[in-house]
Amino acid sequence: MEKVLEINQLSKSYGKILAINNISFTVKRGEVYGLLGPNGSGKTTTLAVVLDILKADTGDYKWFDKPMDKFTRRRIGSLIETPNFYPYLSLWENLKIVAKIKDAPDDDINYALGVSNLLKRKHSAYNTLSLGMKQRLAIASVLVGNPEVLVLDEPTNGLDPEGFAEVRNIIQAQANEGKTIILASHILDEVEKVCSHVAILKSGDLIANGRVGELLTTDDMVFVQSDKMDELEKILNQAGFVKNSFKMDNDLAVVLDSGYSATDLNKFCFDKDIILSKVLLKKQSLEDQFLQLVK
Amino acid sequence: MKKLFQLEKIKTLSYPAFKTLMIIHFLLFFLVVLVVSRVHFSIPGFSVKGLYQFPNIWEFFPWVASWFNLFLAIVVILLVGNEFSFRTFRQNVINGLSRSDLITGKLIMIVTIAIYTFLMVLLAILIFGIIFSNGITMDIIFEKSYLILIYFIQAIGYMTIGLLIALIFRNNALSIIMFLLYFAIIEPVVRLMFNAEARRFFPAKIISNLTPTPEFLTMTSEKSFTGSSGKSSLDFHEIGLVPENLPIGITVLLAAGYIGFFIGLAYLITNKRNL
Repeated sequence: MEKVLEINQLSKSYGKILAINNISFTVKRGEVYGLLGPNGSGKTTTLAVVLDILKADTGDYKWFDKPMDKFTRRRIGSLIETPNFYPYLSLWENLKIVAKIKDAPDDDINYALGVSNLLKRKHSAYNTLSLGMKQRLAIASVLVGNPEVLVLDEPTNGLDPEGFAEVRNIIQAQANEGKTIILASHILDEVEKVCSHVAILKSGDLIANGRVGELLTTDDMVFVQSDKMDELEKILNQAGFVKNSFKMDNDLAVVLDSGYSATDLNKFCFDKDIILSKVLLKKQSLEDQFLQLVK
Repeated sequence: MKKLFQLEKIKTLSYPAFKTLMIIHFLLFFLVVLVVSRVHFSIPGFSVKGLYQFPNIWEFFPWVASWFNLFLAIVVILLVGNEFSFRTFRQNVINGLSRSDLITGKLIMIVTIAIYTFLMVLLAILIFGIIFSNGITMDIIFEKSYLILIYFIQAIGYMTIGLLIALIFRNNALSIIMFLLYFAIIEPVVRLMFNAEARRFFPAKIISNLTPTPEFLTMTSEKSFTGSSGKSSLDFHEIGLVPENLPIGITVLLAAGYIGFFIGLAYLITNKRNL
């Protein structure tokens, strides 16, 4: 599958604060890729760097296998943090600016306002909108120009439950059309319901990434450690009863097929000459697991 | 270019502060030229009417208009500062403009405002000049008409400094204060640290000297100092002083150089800094 975004060892500091630390991951066409992490974990900084509004300290990134330029940016619809519009302009004028930049026809403006349920307010000034309406306008602006990729940073911020559901439906509809979506959120439920893949960030570090079903699972998880971590990781990848395994801090988190236990895992490793110095079984809810991941 | 112009048009023409400041600029200019035209001084050798006649009017009106260049610079500061406070510069880049496009758009806006003020002053000159001048020839009408082009450069100069300051400070109030401080205090104080020759080359000095006090006024006030040879008795070099102003041609060249430098700096800052 075509790589849409490839990030290599990206780091960014604000003074002495390391916002993102050596992050690498790849988003492929058609994926709905979640960036999940608590506030301050580096989600927005990561997106701001790859959208070229912040300069990275080290590392690089490519969109569609090329360095970012203004033509590439027009293939991407982005909402970063808060909606950013001219408060004295009407909704239509604000979206007209977006359409002009993206060389999109005026029809796109009406379509976007219709999708976000703001058509009746199109001549109202932006500063007369409620917080939820502003957020919906931001979603509308992302859709102008029919971009191939949507980058959404906390798109449900400030929305009531109804608005929350509306935005989620818009995202899912866009995903069903085959668009690639990168969604940053601290809301586990949102990522779990919408995303196919997820990267989990904690204090600027990428602590895990992969398919949502594999990373965010309610299956029992066994946390193991050994003197030979590299070797351990290798043999677990080959083990038939291991559903998934990934590094988490100093541990290797292992999800086993049903019918297998931590004892089976320990015996398997022992047979392969690897002594486990830690075997910790955790039964947990999705939320517990996420909190464990970002703890 | 057309797209950037259209974008700036949408952003600028609907901005209430822009409309207010441009109306004030227009009213103040016409108020001054109208009021002065009605004033009668009884100073020997000086006639207000002379200021409104060709070719003196080409000096007088741009000089009056230059008093209000401050408004134009403030307009630019507000329009650029807003892009930072509304975070729309970053949104425009996210949507598909390059960082250089942001500055190019603002330069298009600056040139457009300068063209508007140029036309405003030109129209005023033609109207007042025709009303107040008698028995004039085309040669006399256009004798000093190049001075309005110099005013055009000056307006661009002020607005370019406003642009640069707004890009550096990214805050409307702070940028306006820094702009005023630079012209009123910072540069004049720094100039004092240099010798008389060097003082003439500072940017604010150069740009404000593009429209010096009209020669007509100076000549009138210097009449009493002029000897029988017709040469001014105030020969600065002869008495060991450096004249305050450089020749106009050199001033224009230096101003254009400074404007080019400020524009280059604006592109550099925008391309290097976070948005």
